[in-house]
Amino acid sequence: MSESAQQSTDVGVSDQQRKEAYFTASQAQLIWSRFRKNRSAMVAAAVLVGMVLMGWFAPFLSPYDPTIAGRDKDYQNGAPQIPMFRDHNGFSWRPFLHTPERTRSIKTNFRWVTTLNKEKRRYVYFFVKGWEYHLFRLDLDLPGKALDIRWRFLKFERHLFGIDSGGIHIFGTDAAGKDIYARTLQAVWTSLAVGTIGVMISFVLALVIGGISGYLGGWVDSVIQMLTDAIRTVPAIPLFMALAAFVPDEWSAETRFFFISIILGLIGWPTLARRVRTHLLTERAQEYVLAAQLCGASSAHVIRRHLLPSFTSYIIVDLVISFPYMVLSETALSFIGLGLKDPVNSLGVMLQNVTKADVLLNYQWYFIPVIFFMALVLAFVFVGDGLRDAADPYSDRHR
Amino acid sequence: MTAPLLQVRDLNLRFATDEGLVTAVESASFELEAGEILGLVGESGSGKSVTAKALMHLNAKNARYGEQGCITLNLGSGPVDVLSLRRERDMRVVRGGAISMIFQEPMASFAPAITIGQQMIEQLLIHTKTTRKQARALAIEMLARVGIADADKRIDQYAFQLSGGMRQRAMIAMALSTSPKLLIADEPTTALDVTIQAQVIDLMKDLVSEFGMAILFITHDLGVIAQTADKVAVMYLGRIVETGPVRAVLKNPLHPYTQGLLNALPRLDAFDEPLTPVPGDIPSPLERPAGCVFHTRCELAQNGRCDTEVPQVVAASDAHAAACHVVADALEARV
Amino acid sequence: MSAPVSSETAPPLVSVDGLSVHFPLGHGLFGDKTVVRAVDDVSLEIRKGQFVGLVGESGSGKTTLGRAMLNAVPVTAGAVVYQDEEVRYDLGHVTKAELKDYRKRAQLIFQDPYAALSPRMTVRDIVAEPLEVMRLTGSREETDARVREVAMRCRLNLEHLRRFPHAFSGGQRQRISIARALVCEPHFLVADESVAALDVSIQADILNMLKSLQQDLGLTFLFISHDLSVVAHTCDVVAVMYLGSLVEVAPTHQLFRSPKHPYTKALLSAMPSLDPDDKSSDQRLTGEIPSPTNPPSGCRFHTRCPVAIERCKSEVPKQEAAEDGHRVACHRWAELHNPD
Repeated sequence: MSESAQQSTDVGVSDQQRKEAYFTASQAQLIWSRFRKNRSAMVAAAVLVGMVLMGWFAPFLSPYDPTIAGRDKDYQNGAPQIPMFRDHNGFSWRPFLHTPERTRSIKTNFRWVTTLNKEKRRYVYFFVKGWEYHLFRLDLDLPGKALDIRWRFLKFERHLFGIDSGGIHIFGTDAAGKDIYARTLQAVWTSLAVGTIGVMISFVLALVIGGISGYLGGWVDSVIQMLTDAIRTVPAIPLFMALAAFVPDEWSAETRFFFISIILGLIGWPTLARRVRTHLLTERAQEYVLAAQLCGASSAHVIRRHLLPSFTSYIIVDLVISFPYMVLSETALSFIGLGLKDPVNSLGVMLQNVTKADVLLNYQWYFIPVIFFMALVLAFVFVGDGLRDAADPYSDRHR
Repeated sequence: MTAPLLQVRDLNLRFATDEGLVTAVESASFELEAGEILGLVGESGSGKSVTAKALMHLNAKNARYGEQGCITLNLGSGPVDVLSLRRERDMRVVRGGAISMIFQEPMASFAPAITIGQQMIEQLLIHTKTTRKQARALAIEMLARVGIADADKRIDQYAFQLSGGMRQRAMIAMALSTSPKLLIADEPTTALDVTIQAQVIDLMKDLVSEFGMAILFITHDLGVIAQTADKVAVMYLGRIVETGPVRAVLKNPLHPYTQGLLNALPRLDAFDEPLTPVPGDIPSPLERPAGCVFHTRCELAQNGRCDTEVPQVVAASDAHAAACHVVADALEARV
Repeated sequence: MSAPVSSETAPPLVSVDGLSVHFPLGHGLFGDKTVVRAVDDVSLEIRKGQFVGLVGESGSGKTTLGRAMLNAVPVTAGAVVYQDEEVRYDLGHVTKAELKDYRKRAQLIFQDPYAALSPRMTVRDIVAEPLEVMRLTGSREETDARVREVAMRCRLNLEHLRRFPHAFSGGQRQRISIARALVCEPHFLVADESVAALDVSIQADILNMLKSLQQDLGLTFLFISHDLSVVAHTCDVVAVMYLGSLVEVAPTHQLFRSPKHPYTKALLSAMPSLDPDDKSSDQRLTGEIPSPTNPPSGCRFHTRCPVAIERCKSEVPKQEAAEDGHRVACHRWAELHNPD
């Protein structure tokens, strides 16, 4: 049928191979190849992957422990220190920093004043030994000491960079002397973790509830939809305040972290459930489903073989798009103090102290993490949009 | 001799898609006189719909027109080169004013949230210099003219309140209310039942003789063309393979594709004869055959010629022409 | 065209007796329940080996009737009985196991080749699905062998089996649909507008394939279509429906040469002929097709019938035998055709 095979064999064969690849490409492969052509989505995906890696390797990348244990008492509320390669004394291959010194004298009215000694250099070293960390760590305090979970793997001591004396704080420090750079990386990871757990929980709930609703239809569907809408109308902040009041103080920060994630998941499922139900209702009416039913296929078979694969691509899009909402909700909650607490760190926690005028006027570096979060949220949004465009064969994107 | 109402010369249309430039129409040329009905016949992928949309510059933004192509409208006030019109204002004269279009799916062309009357009146107010009262009276008159009973009540109904046949009639009424010189009908009867289709076709023929306008009738149904059109152009994969008066083309088809099409059609008057399909499948637009686009399915295809050389249009008689090497040879032999 | 040998004394393969299918529309909270009377008191017999055409316009109920024969829609009244050499099933009273068995013997070919195939399954999986669901084969090799055999018959070659539906044209997809319907070796096939979405040049190919399947495998077909010319070429017997009732049933030649019901005559004259000089518009129907939620009383066709009388408005006509195998439901058919 195709005449291209009669042309020069090289062109013909690779042409045929390309066409064959297109013919035998599964839905997932087609979506991926469409996604790859979307430049902004690919950039966003790279950013996303970068952030995940940064979060996972946060302890390796941070020279200091982000918790109170790693604070730098001598450099509190310190400005960001960017390593340089040359100063008035000359050039150096190894990046260095000047040394801050605190003096107090009658000239300064006996207040501690920090000056920069431009003669003393401190050099930055790479792959230094520093505080101990685990790349995989799970601490759960469950009721009853016997059930406590302590899983720790992959212990390391090396960090990407460090300095020979004093501290290197490339994003500055906060009021207690904690390194903002380290805390930012940890916060990214925490937000991703909270988002993941929340999304997973809401996804499971949405799948079950929305699935039953969409598949059975009829009065079951109507009743479930009414319940879903009722739950959706519950205002989140007051609900959280009530729940926060119930959280026992003895719970560790990690437990509190899981609790908050679960709550977010429980609040988030109605939107996802509605989407699952809509997808199911459309797919259920497709003719190929009827064809399967006419062979006597059981409901389980229809769901497994036809319905689930058909809306997997849509659901993935929905999941990716609901991620930023989880992250932002958690940020808002922690910001007003109802969410996570130290030592578990997230953007909301880091921003708790930002409301003072002192900070706004003098310590603007407290806001650097905000840029990271904007990048994270935007990355999710662009990737989600890109996936949706790739999965939808009728989207009107013309070049 | 006056210039024809519509002249299409060497229309080339390609679409920029994710898979590359896809050719939709290639070197299409045809003419339409006032008061004539030209049938544009083709199957899926033939390019007939995009050709019609090109006449009103309605194709999507990724349409790329060929340099040498030219669509000329000869309205009373001088020739208008449609493809060079860029501004919406200029297009407005053409769209809805001189040319009207009716579509296959009437539900899709009526706005669901306003009444038919509101839509027709809006169109009249844009294109003609009438007052609202006059426009309403004209709209009622047109609805009655297309055979909708109780037109003065129907004008205030919504599209979903009318049946399929009535919606199609209302769409015809709306298209005709601005007295266009050219009506483009894109598969207007395909979605209708047979008995309703017959009514609508009769109506269109009556209106042509009454209004003196030309119709470009696009369809895949050769039977409908036989009963309505004066001239027919057969399209295959973006090329016009045969043109001519309807009687000539249907009774003495020149091009192998036209012949194949007619042989594949089940006919009520000859239902004992076997159906002979055209062999093979319509190639996808991404795999356009070289040379003559039909050669992959043609039994008369000559190796080395039909697969490399694009056939030129040759005229068998007055206005009956086909683009085929075999036909060209046969005509030469006759001379 | 020669009709395959079908014994007149054997019971019909599928017999429909007084079938009515009514769909309730919307739940009227105040007792206002509209009912769509899709099929109303239809009786029809399909003999083994026949290629029966079912024609009608929109609202005629032909699709519903076809699906009722496959037990895919709930039946309001009447019976559908399937009987072959092995079993006899009254579809209104079947057990689950019997219904499962029936699914092997009766299959459906859909209209829209683009919607009938799951886009996420390979062709091999699509065709094999009935075998796997109904557990008709023991091993994967057996399934594969059956799939290959049926694919060859439908002119799909082996490399096609590995591809996904998006790689195929409309005609090819329809062949895949047919292969899927054939793989469980049914006796009875309902083809619901199976060529309506195809181009003319491909349509003939599929029709020829269906005919050859009838002849080679001894299958029985119910071919639902709105296109009379297609039906004329392929079917042995044609049944015409209007608004849920069967108005005329006859062998093809008789129906087209001498139609007896006014609706059939109007339908035939409304078909645009390929001959531009043939302008027979004397039997044009006026008016619109009434809605199936509110059908006219008496003979449903009386609102558009050119020869309707008072009696037609009140009394539903019964099916009367005109000639051998030719039945009409019209009060006036006899007087309008005498002398004939």
